Amino acid sequence: MTIYSKGETLLQVKDLSLIYDNKCILRDINFSIEDIIRPGIQQGQVVSLIGRSGIGKTQLFRTLSGLQKPDRGQILVRESRPWSLRPVHAGDMGVIFQNYYQFGWRTVEQSLMLAAHQNKGLMGREAEAILEYAAQFDLSDVLKRYPRQLSGGQQQRVSIIQQLLKGSDFLLLDEPFSGLDVCVLDKVVNLLLKVSLSHEFKTLIIVSHDIVTTVAISDTVFILGKQDGVEGSTIVRSIDLMERGLAWQPNVQEEKAFGETIREIKACL
Amino acid sequence: MFRPFEKISRTTVLIMVSIQVIVLLSIWQSFPAGLIPSPLRIGEALGGLLASSLLWDNVLVSLLLTLKALFFSVVITLLFSYLSVVPFFRPFAQFIVKCRYLTLTGLIFIFTLLTRDGSQLKLSLLVFGIVPFFTTSFMSVIVHTNAQEFELCQTLGYGRWQSLYEVIIVGKADQVFEIVRQNFAIAWMMITMVEGLSMSEGGVGTLLIKYNKYNDLVHVMALQAVIFGLGLFFDHLLGRLRHWLFPYVKL
Ligand SMILES: Nc1ncnc2c1ncn2[C@@H]1O[C@H](COP(=O)(O)OP(=O)(O)OP(=O)(O)O)[C@@H](O)[C@H]1O
Ligand SMILES: [Mg+2]
Repeated sequence: MTIYSKGETLLQVKDLSLIYDNKCILRDINFSIEDIIRPGIQQGQVVSLIGRSGIGKTQLFRTLSGLQKPDRGQILVRESRPWSLRPVHAGDMGVIFQNYYQFGWRTVEQSLMLAAHQNKGLMGREAEAILEYAAQFDLSDVLKRYPRQLSGGQQQRVSIIQQLLKGSDFLLLDEPFSGLDVCVLDKVVNLLLKVSLSHEFKTLIIVSHDIVTTVAISDTVFILGKQDGVEGSTIVRSIDLMERGLAWQPNVQEEKAFGETIREIKACL
Repeated sequence: MFRPFEKISRTTVLIMVSIQVIVLLSIWQSFPAGLIPSPLRIGEALGGLLASSLLWDNVLVSLLLTLKALFFSVVITLLFSYLSVVPFFRPFAQFIVKCRYLTLTGLIFIFTLLTRDGSQLKLSLLVFGIVPFFTTSFMSVIVHTNAQEFELCQTLGYGRWQSLYEVIIVGKADQVFEIVRQNFAIAWMMITMVEGLSMSEGGVGTLLIKYNKYNDLVHVMALQAVIFGLGLFFDHLLGRLRHWLFPYVKL
């Protein structure tokens, strides 16, 4: 069993509710994400959010990222200096939307540059960083193209790199694994893992229908579902994979406990 | 060729349209000579006109005036449209949009009082006539902006003004050309009207009025053909320019 402990809170969601046209979509959502401390290792974490189609995952994403104001409740994120929790603003988190929207009037390179310029850590090295990521993601050939000239998978990778270049601590990914072929899927998974390990406070929140792939790289799983007799979805279950010894293992999918956990998650849906 | 949504090649289109035009002109030609001149006579007059410097001098005058008016109209339109995303300035843009319903004829006298000379009068009338149409089109482009464009800006951490720059100013630049192209017709139509107000500088509008006065219907029709052709030419030119400046629009 790996040794770890939980440190300061990075994100806290308190009593969040979201209502559309008098219809409650999200109800009383409470959870928090804490820094995971492993002695001698600097690394972030991956949280996955699983739920049936139409349950409100995308809406929860939009509220978490500050794009949508919740009707009730609060979302607080870590502010480093001075250390505190403050309400989230749009722009605090990197968001990769389900349909990978990009500006139609910007070439891939220009779009990436817009994001790189927002990252103070990259100052002066923007172009280099773009080339590096593009090479890693098989996008070197399409840098001069416009979004409409890309395949769905390429658009997705552009969106992911764009938010990586922007460099927020939080990265929200809505369905990052759909529409990828096996080779690219491995690449994307590895890259996300690498990103999550790159910095102590990097936190990836992934929404996906591909339960096995997502859970394999996650440290925590939240299941969004409905409770009998009440309107609106809420977190019905949270599973700490670290506790079960299922985190940080490259071959976790072969473990017996992993299979059991997947079955358990499916039963909750 | 006769099925809905059928795709036909460029050459087929060319041949088809040529035949249609020839058939129409022959039908027209075969009408008994009456009030309306026949295509052949109009063609003759057109040839004469095209060879004369009279036509080209006047066309140049009209074109310069139109271009000047378009330039000012675009500047004014962009200014008010860009500002319309700021709530304080929105009513101004909305008022301009409503000005489409003001007819120019009733305002000629006021404009005459307000301007110094004929060319200023013509220019200001044109600009006043064009701006509401430009603004209407551009405001509709702005209103129909995809919400995702702003959301992407937000996730990139852009401020409001930066989003305005990216989404509206840069992102809709190609639309400005499209709007100018679509509304060029309005400017071109009004030019013949306003030129009649101040004949001293000439222009196709003055020429048209002169021919009309002498009941020279053949020349009137020939001139109409020239005006029509020039309009089509500019329509095409602006379309080309847009594709060249904004290669992504044809993707
Ligand atoms: N603008 C809106 N107005 C009203 N209801 C909405 C709106 N947007 C989404 N909804 C509703 O909110 C619910 C949650 O939608 P959401 O897009 O979050 O689902 P999801 O869990 O992301 O599904 P999927 O996995 O298919 O993407 C749906 O029932 C949807 O009908
Ligand atoms: Mg969704």
